[in-house]
Amino acid sequence: MTDGKRNESPMDRVWSFFTSLKLAIFVIIILAISSIVGTIIEQNQPIEKYRQIYTDGAIRFFKALSLFDMYHSWWFLLLLVLFTVNLICCTLDRLPRVVRVVRNPKTTLDGNLEKSLGLVDRWKKKGDLSKLGETYREAMGKGFARPRMTENNGTLHLYAEKGIVSRFGVYVTHLSIIIIFIGAIIGNVLGFKGFANIVEGQSVRTVPTRGGTNHVDLGFSVRCNRFWVDFYPSGQPKEYSSDLSVIENGREVMRKKIEVNDPLQYKGIWFYQSSYGPAGASTVTLAVKSPDGGRGETISLSPGQKKEISGYGQISAIDYKTDFQGLGPALLVVLEKPGDPPAEFWLLKAYPEFDRQRKDSRYLSFAGINEIFYTGLQVARDPGVNIVWVGCTLMVIGIMIAFFMSHQRLWIRLSRGADGRVEVVLAGSTNKNRLAFEKKFEKIQADMKAVKA
Amino acid sequence: MWNVRLFDFTTLLFGVASVNYVVALYGKRETIARIGTWICILAAVVSTAAIGVRWAESYKLGIGRIPVTNLYESLVFFAWSINLFYLVVEWKYRNRTLGAFVIPIAFGTMLFALTNESSIQPLVPALQSYWLHAHVITCFVGYAAFAVSAGVAVMYLMKARREERKMTGGVVALFPSTKVLDDLVYKSIIWGFPFLTAGIITGAAWANYAWGTYWSWDPKETWSLIVWLVYAAFLHARITRGWHGRRAAILSIVGFLATIFCYLGVNLVLSGLHSYGGA
Repeated sequence: MTDGKRNESPMDRVWSFFTSLKLAIFVIIILAISSIVGTIIEQNQPIEKYRQIYTDGAIRFFKALSLFDMYHSWWFLLLLVLFTVNLICCTLDRLPRVVRVVRNPKTTLDGNLEKSLGLVDRWKKKGDLSKLGETYREAMGKGFARPRMTENNGTLHLYAEKGIVSRFGVYVTHLSIIIIFIGAIIGNVLGFKGFANIVEGQSVRTVPTRGGTNHVDLGFSVRCNRFWVDFYPSGQPKEYSSDLSVIENGREVMRKKIEVNDPLQYKGIWFYQSSYGPAGASTVTLAVKSPDGGRGETISLSPGQKKEISGYGQISAIDYKTDFQGLGPALLVVLEKPGDPPAEFWLLKAYPEFDRQRKDSRYLSFAGINEIFYTGLQVARDPGVNIVWVGCTLMVIGIMIAFFMSHQRLWIRLSRGADGRVEVVLAGSTNKNRLAFEKKFEKIQADMKAVKA
Repeated sequence: MWNVRLFDFTTLLFGVASVNYVVALYGKRETIARIGTWICILAAVVSTAAIGVRWAESYKLGIGRIPVTNLYESLVFFAWSINLFYLVVEWKYRNRTLGAFVIPIAFGTMLFALTNESSIQPLVPALQSYWLHAHVITCFVGYAAFAVSAGVAVMYLMKARREERKMTGGVVALFPSTKVLDDLVYKSIIWGFPFLTAGIITGAAWANYAWGTYWSWDPKETWSLIVWLVYAAFLHARITRGWHGRRAAILSIVGFLATIFCYLGVNLVLSGLHSYGGA
């Protein structure tokens, strides 16, 4: 750019390469096509899964090209960088020109400009030139936009424009993409994403990230006080929620019941309800009674725990079913009486007298289960996310400006013709949406011609 | 369920309207096409009512949610959007030949909907969000605009081909001029594009609110980006490199095929977060 030889120096060649729209369209299409690959090859799956689908040779090949995590591969990032550089260069190349055009509008219609415009009409009118100019000025202001008037050697020029902001729509859109990228980079560098499984009643202070290879200290701890899950009659989960407390310096500073689509946020860290599961450590309660209705006792059992029923035997619970052959919740217990082989049998919650059928000195009933769940939380901190939303909003605004507004310009030139009448030339141009502007132009043209001087 | 019967009736109306438009085209009878328009207006009323009824019925079942959450519902909503978008275009451009190329897309969509489970299903927790409304509506308005654009692109290609061979008459004589068709291909896309953009953004915002990640390269997300890129390429090629006519029309059709794959193919062929198309 420094020397005078344009399109000659290597610098210039590099510059024109990066500012070319051919490159832009090429990169956009390559991005689109290569993105398809990652939707066909499932991304970031365990290697065992890939072994079931692909041959070893294919796996080696895909690995070499990072196709199992292609959206984070060096070549995909390189494409994104190329895309961004192209975007910035195109903007730097074109924006100053646009600013120049906007700041220095051509307010007079000369012969060259007239020839370059598609919409031109001329007619003649009797009357006084400056008076006619005044009339047209008003008509233009009413039907289009207030014009500027300049006089040059007895020739009167009117110029009006509308929707100048449309010239910038495309730059707003392009800027928005860069803002989104900046937000994404900030989020990736300064933020984290992790996952925490918290058993009811317990709390966590650190969260594993990057698939467990790293840990983030939250600076406070989060306790799951309770977890609920509701089901539809079909058995599908309807809603699940966790009662969470944030504990900082030994004090509870926040408490919220979160559910899917309603997270908790504390100090920029978000906790999203994501999954749940049995925590295993459920305890069951058994009632032990004598068939004659005598004294009874209740015992609670944890998994794997064996308890003594005095004067009877040892009992442990080994399995639990929410629905045993359509009879409802059931518990499988093992009873070990001295001198007898261990006996295994089911207890049904809905039929507390069921165990009388053993006709023994005691009968057992399944009184209840205290199921303990863990809540699965997605934990994320993303300081770039608001920047991303700013970018997204700008993008929609930019696209709307770029497509639905157009920079429309109208010129009128009034000069005294040889026959003493005033010669009027009306010309118009638009950068977009020509068909609609043509209709508008025709209307203005008719209005102008009808004006009485 | 009443809503399903109303949707069945809508399917019938789209079928009759499609036949009307095609017959009007080949028989050169404007009256038949005009009847087609009225049938489409009736179909718009009936399908709108059906969506309302379905919405109300979901409340009666204790589920209570906007009916755009499974494949059946999204298909009927897609057809609804195409029909409305088409009626606006027909009214603006005063040309009924477009109907023969657009309304069959709505009819086909409804026929496909008929093959899917039509009962009102409860909603999984992840879908229970107000973002659902904004996300689905913006996406489908965009899809509908792209459908109209592709239909018109086919018309453009037919007409341009006959004109190239200097053939006169035929069906295409009734079409708007190639200039108008070309413009309409573009116009529909510039309507669809901001809606698709808004659809992707609302989807990202929702994902961020539900999972804490606004973009995770899920196949549906990726395909929506692919569609967005195809139309972005179309717009750049057209505005800055003067791609008009044939090449623009072909790109519009490619864009719509990508849209269809994004909408249906991803669910039926690939796996991911948008499970409404799954088994």
